[in-house]
Amino acid sequence: MMVRYGRLGAGGVPNARLDRSEALRYLGYTGQQVDEALLTRFNRLADECERVIAPSFAWSVFGIDEKRTCWEAPEPAATGSPDALDAAMDAAESRSAVSSQGAGCGKGLVPQVALAGCDLVLEGNSIAGHLRGACKVALMACTLGAVSEREMRKHEAISVADGVMFGACCSALVEAAANITEDAIVRFAHDMGLSTNWRFSPGYGDLPLNVQPAFLGVLDASRRLGITVTSTNMLVPVKSVTAVLGLFDEPDNGGEARDACAVCRLRDGCELRKRGITCHGR
Amino acid sequence: MGDSVRAHKELTGGWAKAAQLPQPDLSGLAIKDEHLKRALLGQDFLVVDGAMGTQLQERGLADAGQIPELLNFSHPDDIAAIHKAYVDAGAEVITTNTFGANRLKLEGAASVEEVYRAAVGCARAAGAPYIAGDVGPTGALLEPMGTMSFEEAYDLFAEQVRAVAAAGCDVVLIETMADLREAKAALLAAQENCDLPVFATMTFGEDGRTFLGTSPEVAAEVLSGMGAHAVGLNCSLGPAELLGAAQDMARRSRCPLMVQPNAGLPRVEDGVTVFDVSPEDFAAAMEGMLDAGASVIGGCCGTSPEYTRELRRMADARRVPAPRAYEPACVLCSAQEAVVLPVGVPRIAVIGERINPTGKPKLKAALRAGDLDYLVGEAVSQQELGADVLDVNVGLPELDEPAVLAAAVDKLSSTVTLPLVVDSSDPVAVEAAVRGYAGKPLINSVNGKRESLEAVLPIVKRYGCAVIGLALDEEGIPPTAEGRFAVAERIVEAAERYGIPRTDVVIDCLTMACATNQSEALEILRAVTMVKERLGVRTALGVSNISFGLPQRNMVNSTFLAAAFGCGLDMPILNPKAKRYTDTVNTFRVLNCQDAGAVEFIGEYADAADPYTAGAAGAGVAAGAAEAAQPSRAADSAAECPVAVPDSLSDAADAVRDMVHLILTGRRGPMGPATEALLKGYNPLDLVNGVFVPALDVVGQKFDKGEFFLPQLMASAEAVKVGFDVVKAHMGDSADDGVGSNAIAVATVKGDIHDIGKNIVKMLLENYGFRVVDLGRDVEPEEVLRVASEQGIRLVGLSALMTTTVRAMEQTVELLHEKLPGCKVMVGGAVLTSEYAEQIGADYYAKDAAESARIAERFFAERG
Repeated sequence: MMVRYGRLGAGGVPNARLDRSEALRYLGYTGQQVDEALLTRFNRLADECERVIAPSFAWSVFGIDEKRTCWEAPEPAATGSPDALDAAMDAAESRSAVSSQGAGCGKGLVPQVALAGCDLVLEGNSIAGHLRGACKVALMACTLGAVSEREMRKHEAISVADGVMFGACCSALVEAAANITEDAIVRFAHDMGLSTNWRFSPGYGDLPLNVQPAFLGVLDASRRLGITVTSTNMLVPVKSVTAVLGLFDEPDNGGEARDACAVCRLRDGCELRKRGITCHGR
Repeated sequence: MGDSVRAHKELTGGWAKAAQLPQPDLSGLAIKDEHLKRALLGQDFLVVDGAMGTQLQERGLADAGQIPELLNFSHPDDIAAIHKAYVDAGAEVITTNTFGANRLKLEGAASVEEVYRAAVGCARAAGAPYIAGDVGPTGALLEPMGTMSFEEAYDLFAEQVRAVAAAGCDVVLIETMADLREAKAALLAAQENCDLPVFATMTFGEDGRTFLGTSPEVAAEVLSGMGAHAVGLNCSLGPAELLGAAQDMARRSRCPLMVQPNAGLPRVEDGVTVFDVSPEDFAAAMEGMLDAGASVIGGCCGTSPEYTRELRRMADARRVPAPRAYEPACVLCSAQEAVVLPVGVPRIAVIGERINPTGKPKLKAALRAGDLDYLVGEAVSQQELGADVLDVNVGLPELDEPAVLAAAVDKLSSTVTLPLVVDSSDPVAVEAAVRGYAGKPLINSVNGKRESLEAVLPIVKRYGCAVIGLALDEEGIPPTAEGRFAVAERIVEAAERYGIPRTDVVIDCLTMACATNQSEALEILRAVTMVKERLGVRTALGVSNISFGLPQRNMVNSTFLAAAFGCGLDMPILNPKAKRYTDTVNTFRVLNCQDAGAVEFIGEYADAADPYTAGAAGAGVAAGAAEAAQPSRAADSAAECPVAVPDSLSDAADAVRDMVHLILTGRRGPMGPATEALLKGYNPLDLVNGVFVPALDVVGQKFDKGEFFLPQLMASAEAVKVGFDVVKAHMGDSADDGVGSNAIAVATVKGDIHDIGKNIVKMLLENYGFRVVDLGRDVEPEEVLRVASEQGIRLVGLSALMTTTVRAMEQTVELLHEKLPGCKVMVGGAVLTSEYAEQIGADYYAKDAAESARIAERFFAERG
């Protein structure tokens, strides 16, 4: 199927609304008493963020190439404990995403999910777990574009406090754009009588960041959205998201089955978890 | 070439001269033959080939992960066959298969020179009439979004251009650029490393801009102004979608217009990119492009020889390109915005003058401290108050002006979208600043002295700038209008001799103080009229000089400003914070029809009170004043003040409690005046040690207990910083000896580009009085070591956000410990824990910014 592209907040399309409370949560807000002047400052920045930034997105749905896919590692050791996760991650980052065809389970390393009709192979126990039982896989990318980089630099230069608050607003805005993109995928899946699970991003669990170049390539996201990758596989603009969803034949897969923190590499030190909340909101 | 320009209606005098389309400058070029020369003059069509990538795909040669340029070695016959099919279809220009042939992308698989030689061999084997050496983007992002410097990009391109020339190409083709700064680096590299004609195209998205926000009109103005021999657009979309962009470029381009659209909008289906505009539909849509004046025509992704055949047919049928609808104008550009003053049309563009250290102690202090962020604040506030262009002057005797001016221009162009005026009397500084500027700056200034003309005008020409010419020469400033006009005329003539069109010259007739040169005031105004009418150039004036020595200076200035507008002033250089000036500007924009229907004016003033009838205050209360006017609540909450008033300040207990309240609520605005007030009667160090530091400690404790969240901590720290700055200014240079001798270097480690955490730490440490050396982001371990050892730094703070970059952190720690045993390292970042920090050998782990300040305090307290 073809890749769908879109832009929010431009050409008559309403912009995504950034969730103020989510942005505050990123800033560590837990109900402290805050001076009115600071709240006004925050709200002004949030408004500006929605006004000047027009997020863009791309998504597409792929079949799974079962021939090149391997769901289970021969040695099921590398799951569960964060240490094992780290070790798996280290191993994963030292391999390349495209050239790994046949280098996965075949050589007894890690599971891999290969997408039909393209070069992309998603490696690791976490992504195999995420997609186990799926009949199709959706890839998505969102970005706030170069404007977000310039505006963040501007606010940071004038006031680091403003910079931090504006950055959190940008994070919430790109999440909102990702939610809208995900909603489109969910609608698409429902139209086909399929259900979906949730967004899983490179760098999460043991899905290596070095999948990013090939991931963006499959969506033509560098040319169409202007998302680029540094030599250390970080996305630029920084406020960009790539993610994978599974599409399932059986209804209601995902949703309640979700324990996103289980595979999160930050779970041990996570301030949000200590307060009994999550970063993903939904 | 006047014949190819749409005749401008009834322009007379100087305007008629200004309305002429500048002639393409072909001097010194190696041009293969007469047809190519005519094409460079816009008199003949030039048909360029189509896609290479999609043709490779069709032949099954496009292998993901393969470097396509190596096919010139492995499959020369296939490449030549693709070229030949285009030649047979009627393409005159064959583009070499070298889109990514730079040192970076080739990764050592072959030398740049070998690749171009092989690629040109393929093109020659196909019988190409002209060979264009293809140069695509570097593939790396330039600063500030990426980490590649302008000069690094220039070096990569220069190597390619030398290879293009050595391999025997006829043209350099710079294409598919999204970053105007990168396009400029490539164009300069081409112009400075070979004598071939250079074509340059950029690629625009559906929103009509490149990914970095450059519009077609800006791209055309900047690149053709710099002397590209054809400019235009390629890739991204089909000819129908790109028609508007081509028309915009035609209006601004001084050279032939080049278009290479895709065969429609690309779609990715099952991992394959497909295009669905047929050759016939492509041709039909290209008619609009040709009507707009495109004369160098070809295709990009998805096109094939069938498309070329159509273009050949169209070019043959038309024979002569349509004239471009060039609109002569004085244009200044940033990478994102153009300020356009069309010839013969009244327009005012305000030049904000605030970024100039003369008489501004805070700006002076910021420049001396290397704090360019301060400039951004000044820039944004001027933009908000209506400046259209920003003057940037950093001239202080003790500064390295070329370096500081270039850094200031870089900083501003990466944060603010207004075009800049590069203001310096040092041509070396001017060149350093304009060379890497993504846009078309206005240089301030040249004058009628031979020495000045010879030093400045070549820079204006080479970098495609506009320039302010001051009406003075070896004899000084002529007292009469005629005298000033004569100097202006000589400047315009000299500019044109250098190939600078008069639309790029702005004359400043030089305002003299009315108190000392009263008879000159009207002469200045008369000179403005003469210059404007007879020379057809735009005019600038620094307004405020007129009132030196008189009372009510703003009143004098705004009256002079209004009179000067009436005489034809276009670019007043003024302080946009002075409400009286902006009132005059807004009003005159109604009178000169710039504010069509007075829409802006009515929006701004419909409900405003007349300052003369409403009372003395008038409009224009400073932004911070409203905040300052909020009632103090310290007096009634003395018991609640968490900082004990020190004995030395006991006489001013209320003021101290007010100040503590300002810090705890993070109010920057009133903090400056409050500090000033206390400094009048008390010792600055008592203020620092008795109020600032204890209040910050309270803030830190509240943050630790979860009573404050991060923005509160930072807003409080910023309020203290305002106070500190006032104290420092008060103490002069001695302040640094007392508070800043404990230096800490901070850096985000190699490979990591997330630096907000490091910036928070930096700000907080500074507010605790430490001198912070900020090494930035993506910093090599060796660079951290170099700075730490050179500056005798004993504490280094490192930040990393990603698990993948913690390794770089570990390497940096190791290197520092090995080579600089006395130096300790504290680390922090989202993925770190105290165990993890210990594992990688760090000396301290800071879980947040407040913790880093405590670590630093303990560290220096123990060591003294």
